Amino acid sequence: MRTTARAIVPIVLVVAISLFFEGHNLPGGGFIGGVLTVTAFGIVYMAFGLDFLERGVLGREVDPGKEPSRDRVVLAYRRLFAYGFAIAVLSGLVPLVFDRPFLTQTFVMLEGVPIYDHLEVASAMAFDFGVYCVVVGGLLTILSVVGAE
Amino acid sequence: MSPDLAVVVAAVALPFVAAALTPLVFRLFGETTGFVGTVVSLASFGLLATQYGTEGSVSLEWISSLNIALQFYVDGWALLFAMLATGIGALVFTYSPAYMHGQAGLPRYYAALLAFMGSIVGVALAADLVAVFLFWELTSLCSFVLIGYYTADDSSQYAARMAMFITVGGGLFLLVGLLLLSIVAGDVLGPGAAFDLATMLENPETMSNALRERGLFLPVLGLLAIGAGTKSAQVPVHFWLPNAMAAPTPVSAFLHSATMVKVGVYFIGRVRPMLVGEEWLFLFATLGLTTMTVCAIMAVAATDIKELLAYSTASHLGLMVAGFGFTSVYGAETGVFHLLNHALFKAALFLVAGIIAHEAGTREIRELGGLRHDLPVTAAITGVVALSMAGIPPFNGFYSKELLFEAAVEASHHHEIGLLGWLYPAVAVFGSIFTVLYSLKFLSLFFGERPEALGHVHRPNVSLLVPPAVLALLAAAVSVDPQRAVDLIVQSGLEATAVDPHAMHVGLPTSYSTPVGMSAVTIGAGVLAYPAYGRIHDGIRAGLAAVPPIRANWWYDRIVEGLTDEGRLFAEWVHNGHLRTYATWTLAATCALALTGFVAAGAIVPATIGLEVTIPIALVLLVAVVGAVAVARADSHIAGILTLSILGFMIAIFYILASAPDLALTQLVVETLVLVIFLLVVEEIPERYEIEVGRVARDAVLSVAVGVTVFVTILVTTDARPDGPTEIARAYAERAVPGGGGTNIVNVTLVDFRGFDTLGELAVIALASISILTLIVMRGRGDASPAGDDGSPADSSGDGPTAADASTDGGPSGGEDA
Repeated sequence: MRTTARAIVPIVLVVAISLFFEGHNLPGGGFIGGVLTVTAFGIVYMAFGLDFLERGVLGREVDPGKEPSRDRVVLAYRRLFAYGFAIAVLSGLVPLVFDRPFLTQTFVMLEGVPIYDHLEVASAMAFDFGVYCVVVGGLLTILSVVGAE
Repeated sequence: MSPDLAVVVAAVALPFVAAALTPLVFRLFGETTGFVGTVVSLASFGLLATQYGTEGSVSLEWISSLNIALQFYVDGWALLFAMLATGIGALVFTYSPAYMHGQAGLPRYYAALLAFMGSIVGVALAADLVAVFLFWELTSLCSFVLIGYYTADDSSQYAARMAMFITVGGGLFLLVGLLLLSIVAGDVLGPGAAFDLATMLENPETMSNALRERGLFLPVLGLLAIGAGTKSAQVPVHFWLPNAMAAPTPVSAFLHSATMVKVGVYFIGRVRPMLVGEEWLFLFATLGLTTMTVCAIMAVAATDIKELLAYSTASHLGLMVAGFGFTSVYGAETGVFHLLNHALFKAALFLVAGIIAHEAGTREIRELGGLRHDLPVTAAITGVVALSMAGIPPFNGFYSKELLFEAAVEASHHHEIGLLGWLYPAVAVFGSIFTVLYSLKFLSLFFGERPEALGHVHRPNVSLLVPPAVLALLAAAVSVDPQRAVDLIVQSGLEATAVDPHAMHVGLPTSYSTPVGMSAVTIGAGVLAYPAYGRIHDGIRAGLAAVPPIRANWWYDRIVEGLTDEGRLFAEWVHNGHLRTYATWTLAATCALALTGFVAAGAIVPATIGLEVTIPIALVLLVAVVGAVAVARADSHIAGILTLSILGFMIAIFYILASAPDLALTQLVVETLVLVIFLLVVEEIPERYEIEVGRVARDAVLSVAVGVTVFVTILVTTDARPDGPTEIARAYAERAVPGGGGTNIVNVTLVDFRGFDTLGELAVIALASISILTLIVMRGRGDASPAGDDGSPADSSGDGPTAADASTDGGPSGGEDA
């Protein structure tokens, strides 16, 4: 289980991020990317236990007796979805400055970028990133808190 | 001459701005903030005074897409009421610092009082139905805060809740009435005038006829009457007003005698030209005279001076309502003139009551007497205003009461009302006798024997004496020269409320007429009966004590207590902490509503299902069905979960075959995540548990019902699909690349075209996370709840394929069905 997890988790994460980025033109997007990222974390939890992220990856000590909802990782998740929501709302508010309706989106084509030839930067990407953050933060909060029970 | 928008808006907005700044002002001035309030009131009063003589409406754009504007209509009636409110407001603010000396929470007190004054001016001037309602409810809200000023006191809380419950409840009736009115106005006068009260009042005939044609005349009349009656404490909901005396006395003087309770009367006067008629007479004359008599009797039974004044206020409000109820011009004269007179004498009386309570330390009528030695100035003030309240000539209250008698006698000349033509004047006289009685009783606090037990009485502060003195002087001025007051302001108020206004004349009668005789009877009977006051007082109290249901308050308590108990029982039954109960009710209700909806709309027709299934799709669906059956038959949780995910993956493959890659991807990812979560929690679920037969049957029925609903819903919705792509679908497809810069239409729709929906769904996810977090964190606190201990997951896994389907489908739909 752990060996498999070591192999697939990075792949899943990379796929998730690529899904998020190509979402504008190919199947994918913030929601799917987010859910897939959560799946990767879920596999980590199943294989290594709930404290693995904190102890194994970040190298911190974990007090065994404390409440799961006060966990530093959970706090980070909670912050993530709050920020994600803020990003989504702010990206919607920006057009108001340019006297356009709430949540108006536009895009810019950048020509002549090395390797990619041309790169499209859509303002919707910011909104989609907000979606991604909310999904990841929200679902991981639920997952870790419920999982700790 | 038309009014000036800036001035009118400033007059309304000034008190609100001052209210917002009160905490700051209080830091600078401390307890003398009251005098700042005086300045604000006077400024508002001055602004309104500059508009004297103007008439017309001005508006400020607000919600133009709904034709709702912050529209103000200025005429004599509006100015009379608004200037009364600001003028008495100035006096009350002057009175407050000395009276409220040393109390806690003064910033709240002054802020609420200022906001209240702004709302009253708003109600008086508003000509847009939405604005009327808004200001109307604001006055109730401020009144709630002020009645509940002594937050630690139970009776104060009870009274505040009662006032809120009744006045805001009545406000809801008013809202419905106003909406009906706006619908009719929108039809008849054009959509631009839908909420425009001023235009409606300019075309009273058209409106009245249109209402009658649509059969809405009586409903509108009734709804507006309930709104106005609750606000103006008419029988049978008059009881909130005496209870509201839990408020500090300046509040009682300002809100519960001079202004807020008159909003109902004011509004009756406002809509009078539009709705007046025979029904109007029956409704308001009867209501007003009943209130006048019942409350006058209750005032005689009062033991507390504020209670006496409160019942007396309700009684006089009844007098004004009855006045407006009579359709003749005398009726309108009564209403308008008494509104002014009553504000002058009753506010002064409350302020006097405040002085007595403040200086003598008691409000019990039994314990008070002979105060003229201690409070000579107050005694003089009371002499003027109490006799005015009694309606004794030549004091100002006499003139308006005389007009009421005249209107009551006239009623039978204008309408065929049979016996009522005699009953109205008789009741008016009967009620007025009690008015004379309690007025004399109030006056007797200052005369007669001084009780031994009454301790030393202080001389009141000057700032306590000036406001009632000013009011008494004004009352005296009106008494001496009523015609001047009429010419100055009452006449212009009359023109707005009467159907056929003419020049109004008042004065002392010079020759005998029926109303003069009625006045003589009233005063004579009152004075003769006064020596028996004690016996009448005891008799009424004994009657009330013997038969509690006669008191409206008893009914209120019964109803509120009953509802509270019922509510608690109902909550315990519905909200019992078992997830399965919630799931059962939610799912059952959803199914019932959906199916009933389909049947009611006639949507269920035997449809011909096109079986254009390719072999791959058929195979996939077959596997899915087999998976579903396997879930139901699975004998362990792990097996159930794994077979369930077969079902989910098959649906994903089905999406791919049906060329919906985004859906397929989402389904796959969510399916994986759900599988992972299930595997995480599966250890916690007990291996086996006993379920009663009844519950199994219930779960089975529910499962079948949910399955049928989903099945029927899909059939009905897909059956209604038009041939080929719809206009919306085509538009999205065409605009995705040029408009959104993306070739994935689904994603462009999500983040661009329908971004707002997505934002809403983000909020849902965030809320769900927060609530789960809260539930788990809070679980240890409060009562130990049995939720989840005895197999609440039983429903999710026990319901078989249907519930499982619902839960997997629920995942993607949260984000995808934008």
